[in-house]
Amino acid sequence: MVAECVENKKVLIKGNFAIAQAAINAGCECYFGYPITPQSEIGEFMSGKMQELGRAYVSAESELAAINMVLGACSTGVKAMSSSSSCAVALMQEALSYATADELPVVLVSVMRGGPGLGNIYPSQGDYFQSTKGGGNGDYKLIVLAPSTVQECADLTYKAFYLAQKYKNPTVLLADGLLGQMMEPVEFKPYPYPEIDNSSWALTGAKGRDGRIIRSYAPLADNQCEFLEKLYEKYRKIEENETEWEEIGTEDADIVLVSFGSTSRNVKTAAKLCRQKGLKVGVFRPITLFPFPNKRLNELADRVKKFITVEVNMGQMVNDVKLAVNGKAPVELIHKGVGAPPSPEDIMSQIEELI
Amino acid sequence: MEKDFIIAGFGGQGVLLAGEVLANGFMLDDKKVTWYPSYGAEMRGGTVNCTVVMSEDEVSAVQKSQADYIIVLNQASFDKYEFWVRKGGAIIVNSSLAAISRKREDINYVFAPITQMAHDKLGNIKMSNILALGILAKISGVINLSTLENALNNVIPAHRKNLIPKNVEALKLGYEYDLLKV
Amino acid sequence: MATQVFKIADTFRKDAKYTFCPGCDHGVAIRLVAEVLDELGLRDNAIVAAAIGCSVTIYDFLNIDALESPHGRAMAEATGIKRARPDKFVFTYQGDGDFASIGLAESMHAALRGEKLSAICINNTTYGMTGGQLGPTTLVGQVTTTSPTGRNLEYYGYPIKIAEHIALCDGTAFSARVSLDTVANIRKAKQAIKKAFEVQMKGLGFGFVEILSSCPTNWRMTPEQAHDRVRNEMMEVFKPGIYKDITEN
Repeated sequence: MVAECVENKKVLIKGNFAIAQAAINAGCECYFGYPITPQSEIGEFMSGKMQELGRAYVSAESELAAINMVLGACSTGVKAMSSSSSCAVALMQEALSYATADELPVVLVSVMRGGPGLGNIYPSQGDYFQSTKGGGNGDYKLIVLAPSTVQECADLTYKAFYLAQKYKNPTVLLADGLLGQMMEPVEFKPYPYPEIDNSSWALTGAKGRDGRIIRSYAPLADNQCEFLEKLYEKYRKIEENETEWEEIGTEDADIVLVSFGSTSRNVKTAAKLCRQKGLKVGVFRPITLFPFPNKRLNELADRVKKFITVEVNMGQMVNDVKLAVNGKAPVELIHKGVGAPPSPEDIMSQIEELI
Repeated sequence: MEKDFIIAGFGGQGVLLAGEVLANGFMLDDKKVTWYPSYGAEMRGGTVNCTVVMSEDEVSAVQKSQADYIIVLNQASFDKYEFWVRKGGAIIVNSSLAAISRKREDINYVFAPITQMAHDKLGNIKMSNILALGILAKISGVINLSTLENALNNVIPAHRKNLIPKNVEALKLGYEYDLLKV
Repeated sequence: MATQVFKIADTFRKDAKYTFCPGCDHGVAIRLVAEVLDELGLRDNAIVAAAIGCSVTIYDFLNIDALESPHGRAMAEATGIKRARPDKFVFTYQGDGDFASIGLAESMHAALRGEKLSAICINNTTYGMTGGQLGPTTLVGQVTTTSPTGRNLEYYGYPIKIAEHIALCDGTAFSARVSLDTVANIRKAKQAIKKAFEVQMKGLGFGFVEILSSCPTNWRMTPEQAHDRVRNEMMEVFKPGIYKDITEN
């Protein structure tokens, strides 16, 4: 059931609906999608709302088509999005690679479920690699934002539209089945970011000027080298300006638990339980998965004795933590393959085994 | 303080909606609250459940393997969840659709013919879920009836507002149920 | 006094360099598209979704806004553009491989949805840019680099008749097949392109033109032989004609 969303009033709402409502508040003009559990509510909500608002909704014939429709809409300068899940986000990888090369502000909501293959519909963080390392071809990065609460599902959806526009780079909101399906009170504030002027590149018809070409085809090797350098210069700027994370109790921590998304909720509780037992445990939660907070983790590694990543996958982000820490401290892994995150008690007892 | 609630039953018994009303009530009381359903394949014809966690502080975990209060609206859910009740907690059992029995001594049992009452006194078995919430409000003391009434207002969509008085009646019927009558 | 007998369309890029093979019909097809854009006054308002294959270079020839699409996805890109900016004139220029093989789902569904779009599809019975492999329109018996003994039905199955399929979609307003083998047919082709563009402008639905085209390089023929093949072999199977025109009634 969809609660009516009024700004500045708390509503109890599913993560999927929070994302959809936030996209609407952010001024998303076009939604293109294809159903897949556990994110189908986003498309369901959009189908009615977008029509009501005179905006565009298309039930695409496939995820391939859906994401390419987003590219098309974005090329005209409007805010546009799709949403999907794991095995179907896999189908979108080619277009995401194109969108980085075309520098299009695509927004994709990826609500992770179990994999590989069809897997199952339960929560998972198994697509950390898929979103941060990319399944498409070539050197590219997607901006990846990882909410941990339903409130953040809304707030980071706003941010996803803003960062996508600001950097002309596809941006992924990486949620999971737990966040998509759970309800939590949310307060919708108005879209807090400035509107980005894209009149210098958007396709609007070439009246009074030469035709613009948005393309990735670079027939000459030199051109491609030059373009890649420029692209990576942009990624460096994103790392410099947009890296975001949360720290709890890291000031005096011997052990820092690193966790993102819904799993970090249980990890925070586990840290509290550890503190009650006299263990100096802190929590580090990357909010942007790209850009990854390498620098800060490396700083912390100067005095932290051990890092333990907690993930609902077979161990993915742990690799990035190791790279960030760069051998300064051991990095361990607590994980569960798929499903709701391990319970705080479970995490605590595994921490005790690791120290 | 944190309290965990599970509501379980057949698909169609309004289990998720009851949880949503309860969670809305906690939100209106300015508590931290989460609601998490069983979803997807599980929903097709099987049992459905949802977990509501209410906390003064941040919710410790969204999914729990124990709860302080559990409402079971059918036998299958009773069988499954009787052992999920935290020591000293309570289970509210719909004795219209589950046999009265007690396998534990460390929890409280509340048996009420919820479906029968909804049928006989409200003329609609679909009110069973809200009636059960009334019982929960009474035995737990964690939420007021008037808060639940307001929560109903939040949850029931605009075009179905005519259903609210009947649901309020269901809440009251549950609340006033004589707990000693088994 | 001199009489002007030919004018390069204003929509044509003035610095465009001809990059197609000698005798290829892409050049003629793109010229026709440019002329129709001129004549209908669409140049300032048009956006083309370019495809992958030889057709991708359309943006090097037309001085209009263009978005390059991944292989097969031009109709999806075009749908996105049109839904975002319904006031724009949006069309695709695709090869048969792009439109009717890898992109068949996008093409059929754009037509089924009745997207207010126009699509030009160049059918040359082969994958041109990659060196002449068997494609969705390769004729029965035709030798290609991936059908070295010719397309036999047992092994490769049937070619697709694109214009007929698109005509069957309820959202299609206009579907035609034309050829560029004679001056008379080139004139007819231009009329068809114009019609496919006009149905979009009038908001009637999906406009489609399949253009039978030569590919002398991959067919290992001279331009003349290639046009004889279009006439004698292709047009026998892929019959030119208007398969749907809802403005007729």
